Amino acid sequence: MSCAGAPPDRRQRIEQKAAQKVAAESEQLLAALRQREDCRPEFEAFLRCLSTTSAASAADAARRSGRPLLKLLCVQAPLELIHAAGFHPFRVFSGSLAASALAAGNLPALTCPLLRAVLGELRLNAAPAAGWVLPATCDWVTRFPEMLRLCEVDDSSAIWWLELPRLKNRADGRERWLTEIWRLKEFLERLAGRGIGRNALLDSIAAYARAAAARQKLRQARIEGRLAPLWFMLVMSAFFLDEVSAWTASVERLLAVLTPQRTQARENGSGRVFLAGSPIVFPNFKLPLLLEEAGLSVVADDLCSSERIFPGTTVVEDESLFGLVSALAGSYHQGCLCPVFADNERRVNNIFNQRDEAGFQGVVFNVLKGCHPYDLESYSLEAPLKAQGLKFIRLETDYTQEDRQNLLTRLEAYRGIR
Amino acid sequence: MKLQIGIDLGSTAIKTVIARDGEILWRGRTNTAPGQEAHATRLIESGLGELRLTADAVGGVAVTGYGKKLFAGARVRVDEISANAAGLFRLSGGAARTIVNIGGQDLKALRLDENGRVTDFRMNDKCAAGTGRFFELAARLLDIPLDQFAAVSRQARLELELNSTCVVFAESEMVSLLARGTPREEILKALHRSVARRAAGLLGRDVSGPVWLDGGPARNAGLVEALEDELMTEIKVLEEPQHTVAYGALLALQAAGDG
Ligand code: SF4
Repeated sequence: MSCAGAPPDRRQRIEQKAAQKVAAESEQLLAALRQREDCRPEFEAFLRCLSTTSAASAADAARRSGRPLLKLLCVQAPLELIHAAGFHPFRVFSGSLAASALAAGNLPALTCPLLRAVLGELRLNAAPAAGWVLPATCDWVTRFPEMLRLCEVDDSSAIWWLELPRLKNRADGRERWLTEIWRLKEFLERLAGRGIGRNALLDSIAAYARAAAARQKLRQARIEGRLAPLWFMLVMSAFFLDEVSAWTASVERLLAVLTPQRTQARENGSGRVFLAGSPIVFPNFKLPLLLEEAGLSVVADDLCSSERIFPGTTVVEDESLFGLVSALAGSYHQGCLCPVFADNERRVNNIFNQRDEAGFQGVVFNVLKGCHPYDLESYSLEAPLKAQGLKFIRLETDYTQEDRQNLLTRLEAYRGIR
Repeated sequence: MKLQIGIDLGSTAIKTVIARDGEILWRGRTNTAPGQEAHATRLIESGLGELRLTADAVGGVAVTGYGKKLFAGARVRVDEISANAAGLFRLSGGAARTIVNIGGQDLKALRLDENGRVTDFRMNDKCAAGTGRFFELAARLLDIPLDQFAAVSRQARLELELNSTCVVFAESEMVSLLARGTPREEILKALHRSVARRAAGLLGRDVSGPVWLDGGPARNAGLVEALEDELMTEIKVLEEPQHTVAYGALLALQAAGDG
């Protein structure tokens, strides 16, 4: 019987147990990270943000930012617009196995583990929010409200859909998307009870541009071996858990202490890899830890939970309100590297483009079992990447730990391939 | 010339090879059990004893396999895919280009270049279908010793299909076939075909030249025939196919200048 259908006392007991397990998963990883030799005091700001379950983290994020939350899935809703409306944009995601197990009984077996974990966490604590913004990306996300109901999540926040044109290269798709963004603006204004002015939007765009600049420096630090890939991922994981300017300030403080000398990693050619594919979400750092154990260094990635957790800087040429909204719409649609789009050659080109800068010899492609967009793409990318001399490995996994040894064996052998 | 020792700490068995200058002097095997390091050490001691040699004669120990981190005295640790490639390439006289390895818990397909380096490999995920565990289960269920598998399956008159490749489902499928009175040899033959299909699927269809099969189950001629039928190419098996990985680990000592 699924937990949702259990009698109230049993259900309460199951949920209490699950909540303990969810918290324990984060605590274990955080304790392990704090014990690492390369842990610095400057990481504390990020570790603290991640120190609670994601639902509780949401409440903390609202408190830290001093703004009501606006919950999001995926990366296509312009954060600047939400921020300018006075909300804290909060991407809801979870890497908790216990949370995923809690929701499993109410959902098909091959549901995206990430969404299953999100639903489990929301069952435990839906965290009050002004609303949801859901871009219609993959099939699972598109059915998310239905899954909220199936999992009996107690969340009455208003849901606003963004209908995402899957063809980016067509003018009518771009126009439809621009209309969607204007409608989102109206929705946010209704929720906030006030208009989004040009100045507020300019300020928000500037705040996210500063965050993007800080991320760029972090990327560089990772490429140069000054910042371990695992820490990079952790810093990015904390992005939505703090006010954007506070996160940027914490990153700046960290950057100031990352010594400029290069470590061995830069010279270690065959061990330098690009990590692509499905998101890897805290506290499920199984793969990043195994990559480290296998002697592989992720010097660049395109995960929407890491380097791509928020888009690049929006270039503004026309500072009118229309110009700002258009620029945001363009950068969040045209710039998006999610594989749900039909015409997305940019994904493979992005890997080639980063190759010279980051100096990697191979691509590790992570497929979350049940994540169809990335699963399919892992097959499409293999041939073009290999044709360009990049070694490639596809790893299909989920949130469980039982395939650790199997994955490690493959990663170690992959490292040896020249 | 000092001795080189290679140990493969696998999920179901510990295999050890003792060699001098790459020439195999002794091979040993014991089941995996808690305290792997002590078991491996005892295996080495018994090998040295049979060779009438002492520990002083040992130049270095190389370890591979799932338990490779559990053996403290290792001079070199090698991943089992690289060890498999190195061992089989050398033992095949440099002929092997395609390898299928069936271990206790995993199934691997490797492709090598003309220098014996791994150019590509595939490995099953956490599902144990088509691995040694599958055969152990069948041996228990059908009550046929593993070394009789080939002889028994050759007696099958009908070609049955085993629909499940999942160990758990295959078990219940075998149970229901037995309950319906299906002859054991037919079930066994179907099992060989099912594993062969899975190995072939891992390898892909573009196989040219012979395929080298190693790992414990490679001694099962019934499986070899099934794989041959499936891939329609020659399947080659070395004399002691379960020791190629341990031997490959030992070769890493030479590469590291320790042997
Ligand atoms: S794209 Fe993949 S990881 Fe993301 S929500 Fe959809 S199925 Fe899940």
